[in-house]
Order: sequence, then structure tokens, then C-alpha cells
Amino acid sequence: MTRRSMSAPVFGALAFILGGCAEEIPTATRDELVTPGLAVEITLPFDDFVASTAVYGGFGRAAQLGGGVVAHEFGPGPDEDGVEGPGLEAVTLARFARFPRNVTTVDTAGTNRIDTLITIQAAHVLVRFDTVGSIAEGPVEIAAHTLGEDWDPATANWHFAVDTLGGEVPWSEPGGGAQREFAKAVWDPAEGDSVEIALDSALIELWSDSTLTARDIRVSTSEPGVRLRVTLMQLRLSILPSINPDTVLSVPVATTAATFLYDPLPRPPRSALRVGGAPSWRTVFSLDVPHSLTGYPKLCDALGCPVDITPDHVSYAGLQLTTLAGSPAFAPSDTLILDVRMVTAPNFLPKSPLGPSTLGRRGGGNLAPELFLAPAGQVVEIPVTDLVRDQLRGETLVGGPVTSSMALMSIVEPWSIEYATFGGRTSSSPPSLRLILNFSRGG
Amino acid sequence: MKRIILGALLAAAVSTPASAQSFLGFRALGYPVLPSGGRTVGTGNLGIGLAGAELSASDPAAAAGLPLPTISLTMQPTWGSFEIGEESGTSNTTRFPLIAIGFPFPRANGVATVSLAGYMEQRWAGERVGTVELGGQPVLVADTFETNGGASVARLGWAQRIGPGVSVGVSAGAYVGRLEQFYDRTLDTLGVPAGVEPFYEERRWRYGGYNLAAGFSLDPHELLHLAGTVEWSSSITEHPRPGTEGKTSYSVPLRLSAGATTQLTSRLLMNGSVAYQDWSGAAGFEEGTVSSLAFSYGGGVEWTAVQRETRSLPLRAGYRRVTPPFRYGDRDPVESIWSLGVGVNFVEVQGIRRGWMDLAIERGSRTSHPLTERFWRATVSLGISRS
Repeated sequence: MTRRSMSAPVFGALAFILGGCAEEIPTATRDELVTPGLAVEITLPFDDFVASTAVYGGFGRAAQLGGGVVAHEFGPGPDEDGVEGPGLEAVTLARFARFPRNVTTVDTAGTNRIDTLITIQAAHVLVRFDTVGSIAEGPVEIAAHTLGEDWDPATANWHFAVDTLGGEVPWSEPGGGAQREFAKAVWDPAEGDSVEIALDSALIELWSDSTLTARDIRVSTSEPGVRLRVTLMQLRLSILPSINPDTVLSVPVATTAATFLYDPLPRPPRSALRVGGAPSWRTVFSLDVPHSLTGYPKLCDALGCPVDITPDHVSYAGLQLTTLAGSPAFAPSDTLILDVRMVTAPNFLPKSPLGPSTLGRRGGGNLAPELFLAPAGQVVEIPVTDLVRDQLRGETLVGGPVTSSMALMSIVEPWSIEYATFGGRTSSSPPSLRLILNFSRGG
Repeated sequence: MKRIILGALLAAAVSTPASAQSFLGFRALGYPVLPSGGRTVGTGNLGIGLAGAELSASDPAAAAGLPLPTISLTMQPTWGSFEIGEESGTSNTTRFPLIAIGFPFPRANGVATVSLAGYMEQRWAGERVGTVELGGQPVLVADTFETNGGASVARLGWAQRIGPGVSVGVSAGAYVGRLEQFYDRTLDTLGVPAGVEPFYEERRWRYGGYNLAAGFSLDPHELLHLAGTVEWSSSITEHPRPGTEGKTSYSVPLRLSAGATTQLTSRLLMNGSVAYQDWSGAAGFEEGTVSSLAFSYGGGVEWTAVQRETRSLPLRAGYRRVTPPFRYGDRDPVESIWSLGVGVNFVEVQGIRRGWMDLAIERGSRTSHPLTERFWRATVSLGISRS
């Protein structure tokens, strides 16, 4: 009876135990066991994978850059279309909050106390520059002015203090309107990254008035051929507390707004492709990636043409672009980081939403500024493997919809005032698509 | 009986990776599986001509003497090693070469059989490192090719007793199973731009085709048992699954086999068997792939060390020389196997086993220059008959 009831469990247990034994597949490194696959590199010319391109500008605002630019007569010369332009003029504006009415300090007994009887002994504006992204031959004289006109931090530009739709208010004078210079300072890049601009006592007195709505300054330079990238503008007060008069406190005042104004604005390119700037430019490619290939001898000799290609065959796709020397005023002085995203609603261009970043995590969009130095003509390659695979698949890897448009853009908009310029369809070196394709040949 | 069938089904479900592991036949259908139980393996037999009622995939008349519904299951763990030129390696696997059920119909003097038996299997991987030229520069690539799967035969059979000591049997079978191939290529990312993706491709086929077999068993003397089988097969076809291209058919030659057992003493049996299958003219294979050797043979002894009224314990020993049909290189393959075995017959009535377990251990080698493979293989069979 016992034997009869054990039959099925014995079968099952033995099967389970033996079936669960570790499997080790015999593996040998032998050429005869593996018919080598075929790896082919081909380059598709512009007309074989692009239907059209378009350059759009105006994405983002200068105020979103989180800093500013100071320039004077920087980079006069022809742009990528050969149109002569004047040098770049740029000033940075900042608005500060009310001065503090009290400070917390330690009295002679060592106790923290709030002191309302404070004396502002001095004040200065700390201006910090990006030493890598700034271009200056040597020490630069920086001038600081107070502004006499109201302005909108979000929309202000060289010609308008407020530039909203239907509510434009021009400056009384381009570049910040009427102003009064209150100090000058010299920044020497060899000595540090910052300069302090002192406020005179009259201005401190004026700005101490808590009913005052605007404490605005404009930072500029009159040194020709200079373009400085401002990373920080901060007002700092030197305060003497009444409860501990032997101590001078350095108290920062909040910067409530900052932007920069510049002139001239870059004109749209006639045929070149442009990416970057502030506000930013994008180049949108309308793709027409072929699903089968013919006319490539190495491929045809091995597999016979036409050869159908699927997403799995594409191991790498790189958009090859040839750099152009654009307007010197906006020539890159630091690395530009580009991104490629799918345009999810091309009918709504230029305001179409975009797909996720394809290079943000993987990288591959970094471009050194030297690539754009005249005479330029350097070939750079932006990885677009995922997008080309999506084109061939007809949907994204997770089954989402795909359009045939992709945007080449800064990874963050705006990234800087500088922009990258590449040859377009009519240039001597139009964009091309480099593909590394792999095929198996039967194993 | 339901429990037994349940156990067998569970075993079949767990036994999915039923793969032989050999590089033989890597350009063809793979390595042949001997679909036999522990008694057959232990006695060096080729699956035909053993005395006594048996559930056998290759001897359709052998089940004619089964008095009760019977099921048997065979499992084979294998530990192997190989040498190809100067390269060596190891492998191990567990497979289930035979699951069989016999159901007698006493009024018709016959037994219906159902079996699932291994036929050809392949499971191996090859690697290759080389260079390709991309952008005018040599780029290192690593290729991996893995193949996994095999064909089995699902058979329905009938064994008929037509007189004292005379039986005939027929079976009809269909090839089932699948073949999967995986190709993976990785390019050296230092030689190509960042973001290059490895290339991966998988292809899948299912096997199709059918075969027919007919055989006899004859006891011309109480000390002698004879059997013979002829097996005809259609072509085996690899049908591509969706996403895979390429349909291939391979012809399968006629297989003739015969065996005999003679009783030397009251406790000692000796058997011999031979099989002939000439693959040299088979169509569909790459040139130089098939072997020109057609004969396989084997033999051994079975000695009942312990004999009780309803129980016994036979010991077995044997040797087989098998000619696998497909080469590795340009030499015909030969497989030599020595075997030892023991049976535990829990219930045995009038020489008919009703509950048993057979164990066998084999030490074998196969060669097809430059390949040499050696293995230890255990075979465990369980069987039970129930009214």
C-alpha cells in the first residue's frame, strides 16, 4: 500500500531534482562553429535620409540662463552667410531685494539676539565670471550703473524694457534706458574669478529706503573685444550691529531677478543649420530613412541587393555634420552639449512637444569650441542610433508612436549665448548618416 | 494509475531541457539520442531484442507481452568533457530520453503504446574573436553562436501477439521539437563611437515529419529470443517560426535493426543487437557532413544476482559501438561505450516485471577528428504496472 501511494511522488521528485541540475553548455572558440557575421559601415548622403530641414529660434529666454553676459564690440565680422555684423554689445541687469531691517548677532554675553538698530557701513556688488567661458585679453574695466526705468526680467531685451505681446515698452535708450554710473572696478582674470563693485554712500542711503520698489543695476564694459560670462551677481552689506559694535557682519541681499540684454540678435541662417544660443535655436530634420539599401558594393556583394534593414541590424547610427564658422560674436568659447529628440507633433512646429532626450544619459553630444574656429569645416558625429531604429521599427522600443521629425538642440535651453553652426543641404558638406550595420549569415 | 500518469506528466513538464550535448552534427541535425531505458543501456543493447516484455521506442513488438497497464520514465544526467585540437572544456546536462505508456487489450491479444522519445538533439555554443574593418580601421569583434533544441518522436504503436512466442508490432510517429539559434556580436567600443549596440539575432524553427516502424519478436526456443525492426521516415523539416527565414528538409534513410537474447543459465542472459542505417546518401546536408559508417552494434550480459519469489536483482554489463550519422570534421565519428547496470525489480510475477527501477552507468567516448568527447552518463528508469 505504501509503495502504491509513493509512485507518483517518486516520479515527480526525481524529475524535479534531475531537471533542476545545473546545465553547462559546451562552448568552444572555433571558427568553424561560428559563421562570422557581416559588419558593414556605410554613409548615407543627405538626400537618402533627409526630406527637409528647418531652423527655428526663440526657445527659452535669456533670463533663464541663470547668469549674464557682458560684452563690447566683440566679434564683428561676417556670419555663416557672409553678412557682415557689428560686434556684440551685452549688459547684465540685476534686481535686488529690500535691505534687511535687523540682523541676528551674538551680544557680549554670548547670547543670540535680534538687533534692529543696525548701521550699514558699506555695500558692494560681487560679480563672478566664468573664467573658461569668458574671452578677454587681460584686465577688464567693469562699469556699474543704476537703472532709472522699470523693466520686466522675463522679457526685457536690448530695445525693450518690457516685450510682452501687446504691451511693449521700449527703453528710453537701447540697452537699459537712462542710467547713472555709480562705480567702476577692474577684473583681472589672472587674479581670480570675481570683482567687487562698491556702492557709494548716497546709493546705500537711497536703497535703504524700504518703500523703494526697485534696486536695479546694470553691469557693462567699455573694453572692446571682450565677452564675459557672468555666473553670479550678489549684493552684500557690511552691517555694524548696535549690540556688538566691534563686529562687522557681511549680510547678502537676495537677487530677485537677473537677465542680460544684447545686440544685435543673430539673424536666421539662410541655409546653414544652427543649434544653441539664448533664446535657443533648433534644427529640425524631417527624416526619410530607407528600409532597404542598394548601391553599396560591400553590402551587395555579401548579401545581394536590395538589402532589407531592420532595427536590429543597426548597431550604430551617427549624424555627421560639418562645422561652420558662424558669426564671431556668438562663436562658442566653451563646450556645447547637444541633444537629439523626436518631434512628437510636427504639425505644431515650432511649438511641437518633444520626445525624451536620447543623448542626456548616454552622452555623445559634446562639441569643443575649437571645432567652430575659422575656417572650421570639421566633421562631428552625433549618435542617433535610437532614433534611426525607431524610424525603421515604426514605433519606439516600448511601442510608442514615432514621427519622422527629430530636433537637434542644446541639451538645456538656453545653454549659452553661443551657438553651433553646421553646413546645410546646399553646403559643400551637407549632413550625412553613418551607419554600422550587422548581419548574421546563418551561424 | 492516475497518479502514475500525473507523475509522468510532471516529469515531462520538468524535462523540457532534454538536450544532448555534443559538437557532433553541428552542421546537421545534431547528435542522436538512444531512446532506451536503464536495462537496455546497462546491457549494451541498441534497443531491440531484449527478452521479456518492454516498453521500447525502437522495438514496436516488445510490448506485446505486457499483462497490465504500464508506464516507464527514463532520466539521464550526463557529465562530459571535450577536446578540439588544443582546446578543451566540460559540459553537463540532464535529459529525459524516453517516456512510454503501454495499455493492454486482453481480448485483442494486443497492447497499445504511446511514447515520447528523443531522436536528434543539439546544444552547444561557439565563440569567435576577429576583426572587421570599419571606417578604415580594424575593430575587434566577438561573436557568439549558440544552438539549442532537438527533435523527438511522438509515437503511437500497437503490439500484437499472434501465436505462442510470436508477436508483431507497428508504430507511427511524428517528429516534434524545436531548434533555437542565437547569434550575438559585440564590437569593441574603443574602436567605434560610443553608443554602438551589440548585434543580436535569434532564429527559431520547429521540426516536422513522420515515421513508420514495423517489427517482430520471436521465441523459437525457450532459451532464445529474436527481434527485428524496420523503420521508415519521411524527411525531417525545419519549419521557420515567425520572424525566421529558411526552411530546410533532410532526408532520413531506412533503419534496420535486429537483436537476440539467449539464456545461458537459469540466471544469466546474453544479448546482442545490430543496427544499420546508411546516411551517406541522405539529401539536404552539407557536403562532407554525413558519415559513411552505417553499422552499430552492442551486446552484454544480465545476471540475476538475487532471485526471490516476487523480487529479483539483476546485474548488467555491456558494450556498444555506435556510429553517429554526422561528422564534426572530415572523419567519420565512432562512439564507444562501456556500461554497468543494476535492476531492482520490486514486483516480478512469472518473469514479468510490475514495479522496477533500473540504474546504469556508462563511460563513453566519441571521436571525429579533431573532436574527442568523453562522458560519464547515468541512466535511471522507473516503471510500474497497475491493474
